Amino acid sequence: MSIELKLSRSNRIYRPSETLDGKIIVKTQSPISHNGVLVTIKGSVNLQVRGGSAGVIESYYGIIKPIRIVKRTVGVGSSGKIGPGTTEIPFSVILRQPDKDLERFHETFHGSNINIQYMINADITRGYLYKSLSTSMEFIVESDRVDLLQRPISPEMVTFYITQDTQRHALLHELKSGGFRVTGKVCTQCSLSDPISGELTVEASAVPIDSIDLHLFRVESILFGEKIAAETTLIHTTQIADGDICRNLTLPIHVILPRLLTCPTILAGPFSIEFKMSIVISFKSEFAKSQTKVDPRTPRLWLAMETLPLELVRTK
Amino acid sequence: MEFRPRSYGADHDSHVLPSVPTDNHPLAAPSISDIQVDAVDLGNHEFLDPLRGLDGDAKAIPFDHEIPSEAASYPPTKEWTSFRRLLQQRFPVSKMVSLSSVPEVMMRSGKSIEKSSTSMHIEELDDPQKFSDDEVKVIAWQEYVSRLHELKDEIAHSWLVDDRITSLKLSVKVAKLLMDTSILQFYPTLFFLVTDIMDMLGDLVWQRIKQKAEFSTDGTLLCNLPENFRAADICSDAKETCNNWFSKIGAVRELLPRVYLELAILPCWRFLLDEPLDSLKRLVMMARGLGDPVAFAYCHLYMAHCAQKLPSLDIGCLFTCLNDIRVILIRILSPNETIYGDKKKLFISLMEPTIEYVMNCIFKGMSQMQISDVLPELGLRKNQQSSGSVTYVSVVLHHLLKELPIEVIFSNTIEILHLIECSKDKSYDQHMNYRLLGFRLNERRCSYDIAKAVIDKIIQVVEQYDGLHEYLKVVDAYADLILQNRMDNLLNTILEGISRRACKGVTEDEMLSLQNLLMKLLSHFTRLEYVFVLNHFPEILDVTHGSTRNVVFMHILDMATRNCRIRHPTTIQMLFEISQTLHDDMEFMNVKEDNSHVSRLISRFVHMVDYGADLERHLAFLVDCRGAFSRLDELKETLVHSSNYLAIQALTSKKHLNLVKSCVTFSEITVPSICAQRRQFDLLLETAEVSLLGGLFSHSGELIDSAIDCLQSSDIMDGYRTQADVGGLVSSITKLCGLLVMVPGNFSQGFTYFPSKLFSVISSQSWIEPKLRIRTFSAIILLLTTLSQDKLPYHANKEVLGNDTLYYGNLSYKQELVSLANLILQNLVNVIQQEPLLAARGTMALEACNSIASSFKISDEVLAVCVSLFETAKSCLDARDRYLQSTIQFVEKQLPASARASLMSSI
Repeated sequence: MSIELKLSRSNRIYRPSETLDGKIIVKTQSPISHNGVLVTIKGSVNLQVRGGSAGVIESYYGIIKPIRIVKRTVGVGSSGKIGPGTTEIPFSVILRQPDKDLERFHETFHGSNINIQYMINADITRGYLYKSLSTSMEFIVESDRVDLLQRPISPEMVTFYITQDTQRHALLHELKSGGFRVTGKVCTQCSLSDPISGELTVEASAVPIDSIDLHLFRVESILFGEKIAAETTLIHTTQIADGDICRNLTLPIHVILPRLLTCPTILAGPFSIEFKMSIVISFKSEFAKSQTKVDPRTPRLWLAMETLPLELVRTK
Repeated sequence: MEFRPRSYGADHDSHVLPSVPTDNHPLAAPSISDIQVDAVDLGNHEFLDPLRGLDGDAKAIPFDHEIPSEAASYPPTKEWTSFRRLLQQRFPVSKMVSLSSVPEVMMRSGKSIEKSSTSMHIEELDDPQKFSDDEVKVIAWQEYVSRLHELKDEIAHSWLVDDRITSLKLSVKVAKLLMDTSILQFYPTLFFLVTDIMDMLGDLVWQRIKQKAEFSTDGTLLCNLPENFRAADICSDAKETCNNWFSKIGAVRELLPRVYLELAILPCWRFLLDEPLDSLKRLVMMARGLGDPVAFAYCHLYMAHCAQKLPSLDIGCLFTCLNDIRVILIRILSPNETIYGDKKKLFISLMEPTIEYVMNCIFKGMSQMQISDVLPELGLRKNQQSSGSVTYVSVVLHHLLKELPIEVIFSNTIEILHLIECSKDKSYDQHMNYRLLGFRLNERRCSYDIAKAVIDKIIQVVEQYDGLHEYLKVVDAYADLILQNRMDNLLNTILEGISRRACKGVTEDEMLSLQNLLMKLLSHFTRLEYVFVLNHFPEILDVTHGSTRNVVFMHILDMATRNCRIRHPTTIQMLFEISQTLHDDMEFMNVKEDNSHVSRLISRFVHMVDYGADLERHLAFLVDCRGAFSRLDELKETLVHSSNYLAIQALTSKKHLNLVKSCVTFSEITVPSICAQRRQFDLLLETAEVSLLGGLFSHSGELIDSAIDCLQSSDIMDGYRTQADVGGLVSSITKLCGLLVMVPGNFSQGFTYFPSKLFSVISSQSWIEPKLRIRTFSAIILLLTTLSQDKLPYHANKEVLGNDTLYYGNLSYKQELVSLANLILQNLVNVIQQEPLLAARGTMALEACNSIASSFKISDEVLAVCVSLFETAKSCLDARDRYLQSTIQFVEKQLPASARASLMSSI
């Protein structure tokens, strides 16, 4: 006796305005009588605060009440009997009822502190004597086409300069005295389906360069009482230059966004999900060799960096 | 027994083959109609005439330039593999490879594969640790290579079991190996090992996506993709998979493996886009981020290789590649750059093949139109003041010159010269570029004006060179141009330049170049005299030594003796000295072939010398030669021939009887010094004939005597036991018998002194084969028959009286002939029985029978011999044998009717 859910789309991606279609597959050897077949969809934002800017006590009681997006139960069959063999029960549920569901349908997201998840449950209730048959499955929600940003992604790029004078942390003596200048531009608004693009030029550097990397960070913030608890995670690193490259050759910045770790930038009331990128130049140095583990966020003597905000959007 | 009277004239007329006059020379070139007939035949039988198949072959040469559009699954492996072989030869790998660190993937434990993704992540953060170790590790390269092969198998295996993520992960690790350039010499080998794996992965991915596009998940055929499919033909599922691959590869942190992997699956962009070129352009730009020059260059090499798998090749991308390599080279070469230290040279030599390959790719697919479009980019803009705007690195320029189509070279020669002049750096010797240009200009005939302009410029350039080496390298390339255009004063300038620089001494290398140049010079001129009068030529000849000198000298000799006789005394003197040098050097030449070549050349030279009417001088020359070239056996023969020829000339002019004597004496003395007895025999006969013609009977007698003595030494046949050699000796002996017809018999010695001596030598020598013996006996019988005639068929000349005149009607003379003939006849039958081979024995019996029947009147005594010979023949041969039949008929004809019946009954 088994129960299984099968959705109409193999990638399980649905938009809020669409109906979620599928079937419940029941396999049994003996006939079952039941009180009804129910399908439930649930969507919620789960928040938790760990360490970070929240205090010790808060982190101890870190779980915050989830924000419900949707919960709807639909009966797809009245009480009756299911014969032996394989039975398929089709169902169709409207995801968002415009007059009832007020909460915004955020896109599915699994972060370290914030989880936006949508589930579908199927239940076959069989009275008090028998255990009811049930199964559940996650489905993925992407923004509706109509809700998508109407204006096009701005093609403008942000220009950046990285020199010994733009750095707020202490630098190696030879970096300070010899000087360096790396310029470039990069887009700060980016479609999730496109790579981050831009370009970068090393115009001068007295000290040989070891590597230039672009780090992608995700910032999850949660309003927690009066405070905002923010957690920054390094989600992706892409090397742009390896070794002491030629001066004045333009290098492209081309970073494909990791699909599972990103979502559109969200600025909701109780929480927000934002992204930023950081261009880090590591210079060749004896100090760097002795250092075994490097967190790219920590300013070091042999590093120069520039951090820029990045807005991710879903486009058509 | 009695000799038959014979009429040689009538016999000749009745036996000679009928001859018909012909209009055409049988060896002349066939007329056109003949060729047409042949051509038809050619088609019918598919007969390949190696001498005529040329135009047919031309069509068969494949055009490498056409790249099949379905290149992805059928990469142009041929060129790539040959390039690979070349590179591995150029950079042989030592046994041990030192690495800055041994990558984890090289460890033989398979643990890395099982690590969870989180630990992988931590590992990535740990990355800098990898390079923090300064220790150099050493690993046997055999082990390294075998581990890579293992990895390749692992990747293929996990793909087969649908664990494609492992395949990808391993591939990334393999690609990462190329980040370590500290291995230098090993890098090209590693590069090919790694790209092999990359290509394999690329093919696997391509096949998988193609399959997804062609088949649905349950295996039913959706469509067959045409070769030139569009992105719109691909179903969304396949596109999704393809996108996934690009995202996965895009997520690789390090730049180098990311670029290599994307290049490997570059053709897959076709599933997503109709114009995948933008990705290639981006990759070219991305590769600029590789700071290490060697890694940079080889990445571009792989790029050029992968770019060819795209349906349309974009020259622009390749140009950017080349340009970027050039920029890197400029950086390495700049004197301020110190980070590469003393490795600069090695770096450049490692990078050179990549330039070569990229350049080759650029010009391979280019049409004439495209070429004229790119010329300005190459810095070859006509009438442009600032053609120096493109700074070339000489090694890049070198490969450009190699690949440029010849038309472009001709139409831009001056600009190219300018480019070469401007690019003088350490990456490639400038003079080698000048040299290359010279060779390219030789590919096709160029106009006088261009040649003049170029050579004027080149002369200016080479004048600046101090060393002979550079001077020769450049001049050698332009020698043909100078010679073709007959710029004689420039030739003089060059020769002067060489001789001035050569006086300081010539190294081995320079000697080779010099040899080349001299050979060109010699081959250009038809006559040696023109060469000898060139200024400075003798001086240059003087500085040559060793094998170069020998090669040049041999060439000079060859040239001198090729066509006409050598008459000019100074030329003869010069050639004589040259020959002497070669002769004296012979013991240093190890190669036997060279030796025999030299000896042939000198003999030929002696043969071709002609002093005209001055025969004494000629003879003196021969005497000199004998003294000078004592080591050459072949030459001695030539000397004997020449001196005999001189004697005959002297005879015809009738006034130099003393000279004839000197010549014959010269020959007489020379012959015994020849090692081979067999040669001696022939030469002695020749000299004997000459002395006979000169009336020097005592000489000729002695000569014939020594010739027959020659036969006594068994080594006359040593090593010459083939059928042809036996035949040769037989004809020489026959020739001797023919000569003896003319030799007047000597009363004191006995008239048949020579034939009997010949008979006794031949019968006594145990080494002589029965066949040779029988033939000799037959020849002597025929000789005796001839001598018995009242009139001899031929005479030496009018002055020398024949035996027919001397002993006409002399009974004792005839008696002696008959008794000798008798003796031979008795021996004949026994000797035939000694022949071991049946068939040969039969034939020999018939041969003997023929000569007996034509020599004697057939008496009972003779008939008995014939009958016994017939019996021998019948026992050995088939009764229907045609030779047997005709011989029987011949003997029958000689018999009176009554005797015929008895013959028939007895056989």
